[in-house]
Amino acid sequence: MFKKFFGLTDKGAKDLKKAVAACIAGNLTLIFPAVIVTQILQTLTEPLRGGAIDTGRLWLLLGLGALSAVIYGLVYSVEYDNTYTVSYRESTAIRIEVAEHMRRLPLSFFNRKDLSELTTNMMADCSTVEHVLSHVLPQLIANCVTVTLICALLTVYDWRMSLAMFCTLPVAAAVIIISKKLQAKLGERHARAKLEVAEKTQEYLEGVKVVKAFGLSGEKSQALKSALNRMMKEAITFESIVGSFITVASMIVQVGSGIVVLTGVTLLTGGSLDVISLLIFTLLSVKIYGPFLSVLALFPELMYFTLSTKRLRRLRAETPMTGDESAELPNYTVEIKNVSFAYNKDDVIRGLSLTIPQNGVTALVGPSGSGKTTVSRLIARFFDVREGEILIGGRNIREIDPERLMRYMSFVFQDVVLFNDTVINNIRIGKKDASDEEVFAAARLARCDEFIREMPNGYETVIGENGSTLSGGERQRVSIARALLKNAPIVLLDEATASLDPENETKIQEAISELVKGRTVIVIAHRLRTVVGADKIAVLEDGVLAEEGTGAELLAKNGLFARLYKIQNESLGWGVGAKKTLR
Amino acid sequence: MEKITRKKGMARLLELAFTKKALIAGSTVLAALSAVISFVPFIAVYFIIKELVLNINNLGALNGEYMMSLGWLAGGGAIAAIALNYGALMCSHIAAFKTLYKLKINFAGHIAALPLGFHSSNSTGKLRKVVDENIEKLEGFIAHQFPDLVSTFTTPLAAAVLLFIFDWRLGLCCFAPLILLFAIQTIFTGGKRGRETLKKYQDTLEDMNNAAVEYVRGVSVVKAFNQTVFSFRRFHSAIKAYGDWALRYTKTFKPALVIFLAVLNNLYLFLMPLIILLSGKVTDYPAFVLSSIFYIIFSMALPGLFMKIMYVSQGGKQIADGIERMDKVLDTPVLPETDKPKTAKDYTVWFQNVAFDYYEDSKKPDSKDTGGETSALNDVSFSAKQGEITALVGPSGSGKSTIAHLIPRFYDVTHGSIKIGGADIRDMQGEYLMSIVGFVFQDIFLFKQSIADNILVGDKNASRQRVIEAAKAAECHEFIEKLPKGYDTVIGSNGVHLSGGERQRLVIARAILKNAPILVLDEATAFADPENEWKIQLALSELMRNKTVIIIAHRLSTVRGADKIIVVDKGKIAEEGTHEALVSAGGRYSRMWEQYTRAADWSISKGGQRHV
Repeated sequence: MFKKFFGLTDKGAKDLKKAVAACIAGNLTLIFPAVIVTQILQTLTEPLRGGAIDTGRLWLLLGLGALSAVIYGLVYSVEYDNTYTVSYRESTAIRIEVAEHMRRLPLSFFNRKDLSELTTNMMADCSTVEHVLSHVLPQLIANCVTVTLICALLTVYDWRMSLAMFCTLPVAAAVIIISKKLQAKLGERHARAKLEVAEKTQEYLEGVKVVKAFGLSGEKSQALKSALNRMMKEAITFESIVGSFITVASMIVQVGSGIVVLTGVTLLTGGSLDVISLLIFTLLSVKIYGPFLSVLALFPELMYFTLSTKRLRRLRAETPMTGDESAELPNYTVEIKNVSFAYNKDDVIRGLSLTIPQNGVTALVGPSGSGKTTVSRLIARFFDVREGEILIGGRNIREIDPERLMRYMSFVFQDVVLFNDTVINNIRIGKKDASDEEVFAAARLARCDEFIREMPNGYETVIGENGSTLSGGERQRVSIARALLKNAPIVLLDEATASLDPENETKIQEAISELVKGRTVIVIAHRLRTVVGADKIAVLEDGVLAEEGTGAELLAKNGLFARLYKIQNESLGWGVGAKKTLR
Repeated sequence: MEKITRKKGMARLLELAFTKKALIAGSTVLAALSAVISFVPFIAVYFIIKELVLNINNLGALNGEYMMSLGWLAGGGAIAAIALNYGALMCSHIAAFKTLYKLKINFAGHIAALPLGFHSSNSTGKLRKVVDENIEKLEGFIAHQFPDLVSTFTTPLAAAVLLFIFDWRLGLCCFAPLILLFAIQTIFTGGKRGRETLKKYQDTLEDMNNAAVEYVRGVSVVKAFNQTVFSFRRFHSAIKAYGDWALRYTKTFKPALVIFLAVLNNLYLFLMPLIILLSGKVTDYPAFVLSSIFYIIFSMALPGLFMKIMYVSQGGKQIADGIERMDKVLDTPVLPETDKPKTAKDYTVWFQNVAFDYYEDSKKPDSKDTGGETSALNDVSFSAKQGEITALVGPSGSGKSTIAHLIPRFYDVTHGSIKIGGADIRDMQGEYLMSIVGFVFQDIFLFKQSIADNILVGDKNASRQRVIEAAKAAECHEFIEKLPKGYDTVIGSNGVHLSGGERQRLVIARAILKNAPILVLDEATAFADPENEWKIQLALSELMRNKTVIIIAHRLSTVRGADKIIVVDKGKIAEEGTHEALVSAGGRYSRMWEQYTRAADWSISKGGQRHV
């Protein structure tokens, strides 16, 4: 039950039960002092009733008290281990599980969510779970159990007094239950405001250059300011309303101590209650509500917790892509058959059919928004097609496990992603068990050996968040080295030569020439001249195949390709200059 | 650089708590009252017991009405304490949220004023954590712990007064163990080991957050290269390290906490020996029994009241450590602003013997990621004349972008000076400088706001009409009109994806709207397909008209027609002149030009052979 409701691992659910048990034991050992104290009071008041003071008995009670203190210490020590220790282990396990799960999700999932939301999900929600598991939940459940238990015991002892003592609890509980819906609503609104702040902050930080250059710092950034302002207002509303319900409930509970004395005195004067019983109930009435009040106080934390677990559960409910994990591809011909695909509502690929022959270079070209990049993503099964099918070596990729499929492919993306790690580890991502020698060889082929060796620590240099210390061309070459190291039979190149200075460009061109040797290559290029010699060129327009053929054929045909080629040659001749005029 | 001395630890937290004085004062008074009144139920119960004990042999003499009013006093006191506590918490919460707002806005303002070097050595994950977590945690301090702190001070005081009124010997027995407990606690948590563990715990937490950002960003690569999460060592080990340190951190506190609670819940044990010893000797036994009972009841009441103290000292340290992280950033000096601002007489940009070094500027001994950054500048002098186009070319890492970044004062030069219209840019007001310089950067950045808002960044007071005009001039009106909500389409929402070229043109529209007399273009034509490229070029031509333009371009053909081409190499100016002059000079530029014309003819094909 715990597992499902709180989104825990198997071990975590078992541990939570243990933690609750430990907390109950801790609570119960706290009853001993109360019992011993009433005994002490009884002994001390003996002389007033005409008896003699029993000092021996008092010493005995003191000894028992000391013993119970030691027992409490031991029990609490166990409780401590079972709550704190266990919760950190559990949150570590959940974090790893979530990270692992995220990796299996299709890229379409990441398209829907943004960076800050995902990280908030993973980090903050796990922290909440961690906190609630250690500080809140076991105590909460244990307190509920303890209150019930004590209530039962006292009822057996004297049901009338017990009724007086606990009659307010249901009323207080009712207040909380009735207000729960409103609290949940406010809680969700507050959480949303928080998330928006996280988003806007991330954006502000990422765009700090624009923020600086256009004078949008601090309060001048309208988006950040209003997000912060909203969050402040939501937080105040949430705290004051939730707080007021809890306060009212606590007040109702406390009325109980008045009722106890009232009932006790009435019963006492009526002769149906002895002084010691009244004494015990009166004494208990100042302490007994403690656990119940702490349940009320912990309630808001629980609200956050359920929100967090709900989000975590939703994340885990996202279905990963599956397929045959041992599929073998007999050849690497890619057949796209009648494929349609939409990121959202509108199809961006519409009934596309195209064959990409093995061991050759096929170029995808077309205006931006024509679907070139989408096609390459579909071939890599980052997304599943909506209609039609894609076959590689005669096998539908839908039936192949995405990870298995990846073994056959290398990528050089337009936007290079590097990690804040050493250069050697960044290249080794291509093949994790590669020897240093293999890495160096790949780096040499990708023309990056030279600049890497010039860095302070050579291959062991750490390159900053997303490789921030490297230039665009250097980053691109590192990513080519990665792909070379992977040595996969199918290579996807998406705009690998954009944004480079001539020196870098020459080097990257050399590196790419190494990469494509004897492989099945799918290349997306804007600079048409670089692909005019490809074995096949597929021209896309608005998600459909406009033309296909070799460069020469297409140029002769005088269609879309020929037109784009012409525009480009003109723009290549473009240049700045006061004296030059544009055509 | 002047160094601001800041308070640290608890003193700093209190200083921040008093940002909103009135609310905090209200909270203090209410919390103190609540703490004092929370003793009322115990006193009432004591008087009830007293009445019972005194009439133990003659119950008929009990004053029923008196006892009932005491009963109501007990309940009423508890209720009043709760109500006052709520009032205190409300005041403190409002104060907290207002303070957080202010701190966050200030923090955001400060980091934008820092040199860019700060940002390349501090990850966005780390900085966001300061806002999302470190500052946020202060809410816990101001809203909860501060009122608790007040009652922490009020409670012992009120308790001490009460305890020493009846019998100072018993009072001492109650109080001495409490003082002992505090001593034990301070030794455990305040000690060197405790502090070090806490620091390590915070560090690993930060590390884990950074790794998470990187992990999510890199997920496409991770997928593409078949990396399992376990081989994804960094994130995995960051999670593990955090878990381990969190565990170690809690273990440090275990012995202290166990002793603390065991003693606190059994305070009556300390009273017993004295009570037993005195019981045989006292003359007025009933009075003695009553005061004994009073102390026993009190010793039972104290745990609840003192538990708060424990959490104050524990959580306070964590929060103070987080605030220290914020202060560390706030203490990083911003680029100094002048008191006597100057303005530019014209728009010619002069670099005079400029030297610049990233390391010296950022002064971050802990920044480990300073890898291949070699683009420091050395003795750079040139001028970019008003109304002319000056192009910067050179290999990547040569310092071109650094030069561009110095003009808007993203960094300050280490030697020499940069002047615009005769005035040193360091003597200009930041806002003024930004108003005369416009930019189109290599890395396009759009906000997740509407298209119109993104263009309005250039001039936030511009009318819709002017926005549309700018968009038209930047060749983006057409594609904007095709979007579901036109200019009000929010970028990134509902699958609105703009191509690289479209994004670039939006950024140009921004610069057109700004219409600053000096324009810095850093690789503005990258990432474009042919059709887009043509449009971008049209947009740029519109933008550059009659301005002082400083342009960085990789494609040499783009800048062939510039009035002046400056070749930058290894942080120095290698050559300077027009295209024709430089080509015929046969130096560095002519070699680059040759290489460029060769690269432009490269093409990809089977077997990787070159077709020329």
